[in-house]
Amino acid sequence: MKSTKFSPMTQEQIDKKWWEIGNYFRRNSLWMLMYCTGCCAIELPPAMTSAYDMERLGMGPMATPRQADVLLVTGYLSLKTLRRLIYTYEQMSEPKYVVGFGSCTINGGIYHDSHAVINKLDQYIPVDVYVAGCMPNTEAVMNGFTDLMGMIKNKTARGWLDYKERNDWYKKNQLDSLGEVLVHDEFHE
Amino acid sequence: MMNSMNNVEFLNELVNSKFNVVKTEIINAEQMSFIVDSRDVHTLLTLLKTSGWKQLSYLSAIDWIKEDEFELVYIVFNWDRPVHIQVRTRIKRDRENASFETIIPIYPGAKYYEREVHEFFGIKFPGNPDFHKQLILENWDDMPPLLKDFDPRAYSDSHFEKRDYPEKHINLNNQESKQEKRQKRNLKSLLLRNGGKK
Amino acid sequence: MVVNILVGLGVALFGFVLQTAMGGINRKIVARVQKRIGPKWYQEFIDIFKLFSKRSVSHGWIFDFGVIMALGGIIATAMFMPVTANIIAFEGYDNFFIFVYLLAVGMLGMAMSASGSGNPLASIGVMRALTTMLAYEVPFMIVVMTIIKLTGGTSSVSEIAAFQQIAGNNWFIIALPLGGIVAIISLMGMLGKKPFETYIAPAEIASGPMVEYGGKQLGMLFVMHEITVFIEVSLFIHLFLGGAATLGVYLLKYFLVYTALNLISSVYARFKIDQVVVFFYKWPLFMAVTQAIIAIYLGWVI
Repeated sequence: MKSTKFSPMTQEQIDKKWWEIGNYFRRNSLWMLMYCTGCCAIELPPAMTSAYDMERLGMGPMATPRQADVLLVTGYLSLKTLRRLIYTYEQMSEPKYVVGFGSCTINGGIYHDSHAVINKLDQYIPVDVYVAGCMPNTEAVMNGFTDLMGMIKNKTARGWLDYKERNDWYKKNQLDSLGEVLVHDEFHE
Repeated sequence: MMNSMNNVEFLNELVNSKFNVVKTEIINAEQMSFIVDSRDVHTLLTLLKTSGWKQLSYLSAIDWIKEDEFELVYIVFNWDRPVHIQVRTRIKRDRENASFETIIPIYPGAKYYEREVHEFFGIKFPGNPDFHKQLILENWDDMPPLLKDFDPRAYSDSHFEKRDYPEKHINLNNQESKQEKRQKRNLKSLLLRNGGKK
Repeated sequence: MVVNILVGLGVALFGFVLQTAMGGINRKIVARVQKRIGPKWYQEFIDIFKLFSKRSVSHGWIFDFGVIMALGGIIATAMFMPVTANIIAFEGYDNFFIFVYLLAVGMLGMAMSASGSGNPLASIGVMRALTTMLAYEVPFMIVVMTIIKLTGGTSSVSEIAAFQQIAGNNWFIIALPLGGIVAIISLMGMLGKKPFETYIAPAEIASGPMVEYGGKQLGMLFVMHEITVFIEVSLFIHLFLGGAATLGVYLLKYFLVYTALNLISSVYARFKIDQVVVFFYKWPLFMAVTQAIIAIYLGWVI
């Protein structure tokens, strides 16, 4: 007998519903991996401690990339740190998000003509939110995090999917600037 | 225990009596600099090491492009007599073949400093078994980057993608500068004061 | 039998919900101590469900199997735990030594899984966890043996609790003051609270055994950790605080014990591993032995 009240949901709709429930948990519990390469990292202690208290949003620092959800790239990236950043990003478990801090990750900032510092982070890994400024205010940093939460809610934080879909493009850019991502010398086996 | 001025005098006597020092500079009570001929560097460093300057703190280089010379700076330190000594010497600036004998027999720790100098200035260190290996710049594919004739902007432009901005952002830069505005204002006030005459 | 198992699983679920909620409330309390607002009280639930909603990486079947073994072992342990005098799944099997041995199964599973990940930091963390266990168990065991001797040879947790209630609520933490202090210190070691959290040390060995976990495996470890805390705090309540006649009393005691431990830990820094071992083998051991001699041979019990 066919039910007249409820039309059964397709598998796609069920998956979508589950994904929305998951999004609620994901945006209320963002665990950060802090990649403190530059001066913007100094904005994180006031954001974490009693001045702005990011734990009230459910955010907290984590020790390893596997446990983390958000990768914070705080400042300029030299070629050498970019390699490590790419390893770190690829180790994180999905869904994963990236927040770029400061003008250095956007366009190179004051290092725009340096031989060692890259200019545009989203060329190499997908960035969901940029926080502009040199350095950004702590309010701007907190605003960036709430923006990321809104993006997760609206399903626009799709950087990790983009990295899968356009992996060839990202890999090509990485190789163009770095030569090779995994270095083979006496310090790496 | 000797005080620090005694240390400087002691050093002056020790070095100047045995070596032909081009120039001695006493920067302060804790720092001295000796400029010597490149042939004397190894014997001077040996003497300093036997006199207690056991630690090689740093080895760096300076590119004097107009004089066509490289300057090597060895900084050594003594834990009993607190004086940093810079031993400076000049060698010929030759992009391909600039070289200087290694000091590994005197200070074994110089191994990595010499690799770094080779990477950034292209100076070869015969005697150091792996001065040519990469240390800091991984997979570098251009001339050594700290030479004065290296153009970092050109390298950056050719290797790293730049962000394109729409036109309206660039237009902000074409506004009148504050200095020009101030000059105009001053000129106007001058005209007013002089009753329209320049 | 089926009813007993269902009650046992219910106790494990109750322990998980209780401890997760307590954990969230305590995060809020510690945040207030530090002049912060703190997370929502159900933040720990969000964290755990988020971990289950993530995709995870496997490092081989030992890695996956060890996590399941750890969670299963801990749930099995929690099934034997009496909550109040009436809520108990397997009457007559709530022996203290059953808890000691079954807890080891969970720990062993976690050690196996962490070693299976192949990360050196995980091995260091497991080694430190076992060393810490060796350190706190000796003084704690001596105190519990003293209690077993005083209650006339019964090692049943609910009977020890009943013994204290019959003796006019004469709790062992008051009757054996030195032993009570030793038990509190050992409990902090068991729970991995601040002075003794050497084996997870996030800044030092990148959270130790958990270093390679992410997503669902980490979620399972979190569930396991919550239930472990429930078991250890419950043991303390039954052995030293006279158990609980009703659920309300139990919840109150649980809240007070766990909050007090958290407040103590929020003002401490971390010990090094050798300091942990030396600390436990010095004063707590000495106090435990003294307490045993005083209570058993001299008969001085308050």
